[in-house]
Amino acid sequence: MSAGFLARRALGTLAVLAILSVGVFGLLYLAPGSVERTLLGTRPASPEALEAIRARYHLDEPVVTRYLRWLGGVLQGDFGTSIRTGMSVTDAIGSRLPLTLQLTAYGTLLAVLLGLPLGIVGAFRKGRAVDRAASVTAVAGMSAPPFAAGLVLLMAFAVHLPWFPVYGAGEGFGGRLLHLTLPALALAIGAAGLLVRFTRTALVRELDKDYIVFARARGLPPLRVAGYALRNALIPILTAVGLIVTSTLAGTVLIEVTFALPGLGSLLVDSVTFKDMPVVQALALLLTLLISLVNLLVDVAYTVADPRVRFGEDTR
Amino acid sequence: MSIGETKPLIDVRGLRVGRAADGRTLLSDVSFAVEAGRSLAIVGESGSGKSLTVRATLGLLPAGLVAQGDVTLAGRPVSRDPKALRALRGGTVSLLLQDPFTLLNPLRKVGKQIADGLARGKRTPAEIARRLAEVGLSADVAERRPYELSGGMRQRVGLACALAGDPTILIADEPTTALDVTTQAEVLDLIRRVQRERGMAFVLITHDLRVAFSMSDDVLVLYAGRTAETGPAAAVRAAPRHPYTRALLAAEPPLDRRLTVIPSIPGTVPAHDAVLGRCGFADRCALAGDACRDGTPEPRPAGPGRTSACVRADVLAATAPAEPETAPEPEPAEGSGPALLEISGLIRTFRGAKRPALAGIDLRVGPGEAVGIVGESGSGKTTLARCVVGLERPDGGAITFDGTSYGDLRALPKGERARVLRGVQMVFQDPYSSLNPVRSVGAVLAEALRAAGRDGGKAEVAALLDLVGLRPDVAGRPPAGMSGGERQRVAIARAVAGRPRLLICDESVSALDVSVQAQILDLLADLRSSLSMALLFITHDLAVVRQITDRVYVLASGHCRESGPTAQILDSPTDPYTRALLASVPIPRP
Amino acid sequence: MRLPGPAVAVALLVLAATGTAALFGGLLVPDATAQDLTTGITFPGPGHPLGTDELGRDVLRLLVAGASTAVLGALAVSAGSMLTGNLIGLPAGYLGGRADALAMRWADLMLSIPALLVAVVVAGVMGGGYWLAILVLIVLFAPTDARVVRGAVLEQRSRAYVEAARLQNLTSWRIMTRHVWPNILPVALANAFLNFAYALVSLASLSFLGLGVAAGSPDWGRTLSDNKGQLFANPWAAVAPGLAIIITAAAVTVVGDWLQERAERRRLAR
Repeated sequence: MSAGFLARRALGTLAVLAILSVGVFGLLYLAPGSVERTLLGTRPASPEALEAIRARYHLDEPVVTRYLRWLGGVLQGDFGTSIRTGMSVTDAIGSRLPLTLQLTAYGTLLAVLLGLPLGIVGAFRKGRAVDRAASVTAVAGMSAPPFAAGLVLLMAFAVHLPWFPVYGAGEGFGGRLLHLTLPALALAIGAAGLLVRFTRTALVRELDKDYIVFARARGLPPLRVAGYALRNALIPILTAVGLIVTSTLAGTVLIEVTFALPGLGSLLVDSVTFKDMPVVQALALLLTLLISLVNLLVDVAYTVADPRVRFGEDTR
Repeated sequence: MSIGETKPLIDVRGLRVGRAADGRTLLSDVSFAVEAGRSLAIVGESGSGKSLTVRATLGLLPAGLVAQGDVTLAGRPVSRDPKALRALRGGTVSLLLQDPFTLLNPLRKVGKQIADGLARGKRTPAEIARRLAEVGLSADVAERRPYELSGGMRQRVGLACALAGDPTILIADEPTTALDVTTQAEVLDLIRRVQRERGMAFVLITHDLRVAFSMSDDVLVLYAGRTAETGPAAAVRAAPRHPYTRALLAAEPPLDRRLTVIPSIPGTVPAHDAVLGRCGFADRCALAGDACRDGTPEPRPAGPGRTSACVRADVLAATAPAEPETAPEPEPAEGSGPALLEISGLIRTFRGAKRPALAGIDLRVGPGEAVGIVGESGSGKTTLARCVVGLERPDGGAITFDGTSYGDLRALPKGERARVLRGVQMVFQDPYSSLNPVRSVGAVLAEALRAAGRDGGKAEVAALLDLVGLRPDVAGRPPAGMSGGERQRVAIARAVAGRPRLLICDESVSALDVSVQAQILDLLADLRSSLSMALLFITHDLAVVRQITDRVYVLASGHCRESGPTAQILDSPTDPYTRALLASVPIPRP
Repeated sequence: MRLPGPAVAVALLVLAATGTAALFGGLLVPDATAQDLTTGITFPGPGHPLGTDELGRDVLRLLVAGASTAVLGALAVSAGSMLTGNLIGLPAGYLGGRADALAMRWADLMLSIPALLVAVVVAGVMGGGYWLAILVLIVLFAPTDARVVRGAVLEQRSRAYVEAARLQNLTSWRIMTRHVWPNILPVALANAFLNFAYALVSLASLSFLGLGVAAGSPDWGRTLSDNKGQLFANPWAAVAPGLAIIITAAAVTVVGDWLQERAERRRLAR
């Protein structure tokens, strides 16, 4: 692994984060409605109360100064306090991060377990009934927004058949697993559909290639031939897995709202509508960082999967 | 197929291939047999069904195609038993494919790929080294992956893989078509040596008559999915018993002399099921009579060990083929008057390349002169042509075309650039990609005419089509459905629409079948004299360059090795590289 | 991806029905949003095949009325991003050089941030709204389109017919628009179909989060969101619009796949 490659990737990620933070800041600045109004809610807005709020949140300063003040804090590890709850942003996020990560991991795992075998079977049985069934299932899955899938699952397996709890995050490992199963499944349905298509397309492309015909012509056993194709289809499949990790992470926003789970997603939705700038900023940076990390892992996996790919070369 | 005491190792009877979806037949009544130690070449142009024949024999047809007929491998009937056939692949029969760049698993080490085909107990480094040595490679190649090897090395590895299961029958489908001439000669030698040492029955599929006659004992000529002629290679070459074979042999340009007109076969190969119930060649045959269109001619004996599917084989045997007229060698026109194209010290290095593609080339084309550039892949011949027309930007040197000097044509002022491009045009190699699939032939030509300052009306398009030997109704058609030869005619029409003074042909006939190649070469020679333009003809094929050029430059690795009158260079080369190139042309076995 | 023939037929029927509802929904069910608070929420029954919602509105009629915002918005997103993608991807791929590098860095940047999350942040902070959501999605989808178009252009650019056109001294603009573009159009169109399905889902997601159309409007995502708390009273009030989204998106994907497959076959047949 080359240090130059990692340094370039780190710089790139930093640049994205910098641009994003300016963007979010600018957005909040341009947004209609004022923070002080939102904070006061229905209480009467006396000039003194407004003044106090402005002073507290430095709202009278020019926007550049406010941004630099915020940036200075971030560089020292201080993400500020939530306007909405008064909690430290670090604490608010820290307490909710594990749930979202667990949900993402669980959802991705289910998607891989469902999608990969279905895609492989479809490719090897191309054109047969099982392939068609897999294809139709994949399209249906891809077309289901996570929240809609979640509601259908809730109706089926929590209301109609009371196998799973309707709401809540659950206690302990077993409880957590039980409570997160339906949400993770709702997330996995769309991701699995995507994975079925990617896997099948990649494998079909490999199976049509000359080296497969040659391998069969010289009498290699079918399992070995299948191994050849799978090994060469690994790169596009890895790309797809990276894609579903990020889409699952993004999907948690919808799923946490659907299932009333206290994770980062529901925090984001609440903070956004409240224009809770420090929390929104921190969440945007954190989620982007997580996604950059996933993409980096995928790129590292490429080099293991294909020795032709060297670090820093364009693989797309 | 000579009559021997031993039973043939591979015996195919009445092979027929059809498409399940629409019931179309692609190939029928193909039979052949090869004994141990013997070799058979199956020869045919594209569309003849030669690749389908081997795929069907080995049970490797693409999805949707079905085969009928009797196939016996090493005494075992396998045509109705796919499992038995699968068990025989590798250990009894093996297949080597055409393209060395795609036939190996790109991610697996070469040694492991060979080991995958070895019997279980034999998968040792020593055995792999021995297998690599058999194909002329050193043991350390085992640790490399295909992308680290050259085309010739990959094809050697492919051979080692095909031989890993120690088959008694080896089938090779165009094994050297994708290779350079010198590499092709080495690989052919290798295959022949290994076949002899192992005493295998060998079936070679090829479009190249020279390769076929140099490699095999017997030949089988396929035409439109049916057997035209079979027999011992030497006998067939000396006296073909089918008009198609005779025409094909005549269309092959000779290396040692220049012909006034290369005898070509009119038209193109028809689809198999378009000529059911009659002789498929009748429409292109000079000897054809009513009997030829009345029923499918069956192969019948035509001399010792020979068959012919021509009802007029006797007439054919009685008439000697017309000896084509040899043209006088052209007078070298070099030095007379100002040059049309003058290139001096042209240099081009691609980014990331170890050595320059062009390392200072000088070249001159006089008005109306035909100049050849000969070289293998990587010689820089195509880069040179692309620099002249501004598709490539040289790093150094100068190009002067008709009084206008430039390095990068794109950097010239618009008017001057337009003037140069009216004077010089180019015909590309691949007739399929050189026509825009969504534009009709008429639209393509009208645009070219307008670009040359003409009005591009219907009459002009029709005249242009006539010039290249196409009917005017072609104008309304899209390129889809046109044959390679027809497409290349359209591409030539587009290039000569503005009556250029220099036409550059970049391997413009090398993707075509031999019979069509002769048509296009004749067309180019005609156009050269009728439009009095100069030709810059780029090719890897020495026989072709002999037919069409007055002077030739031999390029290798971006350097010019030798130049001079074509006849002189080909008859008495002074440069060792030119000699090696000439020595690589396959010669028939005695 | 190969799909059975009947699936394409069914998908086309679904699209025809959805399209009719989207275009003429207002005429078919003019009073879909009329409230009937005395009825309140009910299970499916006579007169109300899918029951009613909390405000006593017939769920089936709401579905028909909601097709318009759901489908036309997705159409706007896929058309807008296809247009933007072509305008950027075509010159970037054909001309190459610095413009290309710039366009692709921009696409990289846009694709390295999570689209849905950005949409949530922007729409949320700006106070939501239907057209805002559409605009944000166009901006977020366009980079993918630009990439797809550029890739297809790159594949065409090296072909001999493009080089032959260059030798006729045609302008780059003419070669791009008259020669290259018709050849990449099938790719762009197939991608637009996939985008349509994705836009349908994304718009519904934003509406679901309360960031799309206004509360109470007859929009599939919104209706689903409004009734998600009523799973025990009338689950169909939330599930039916969810199914409508899934079925429409699937139908669009099926048709898009079919078109792509046809384009691919024609390309191979040359």
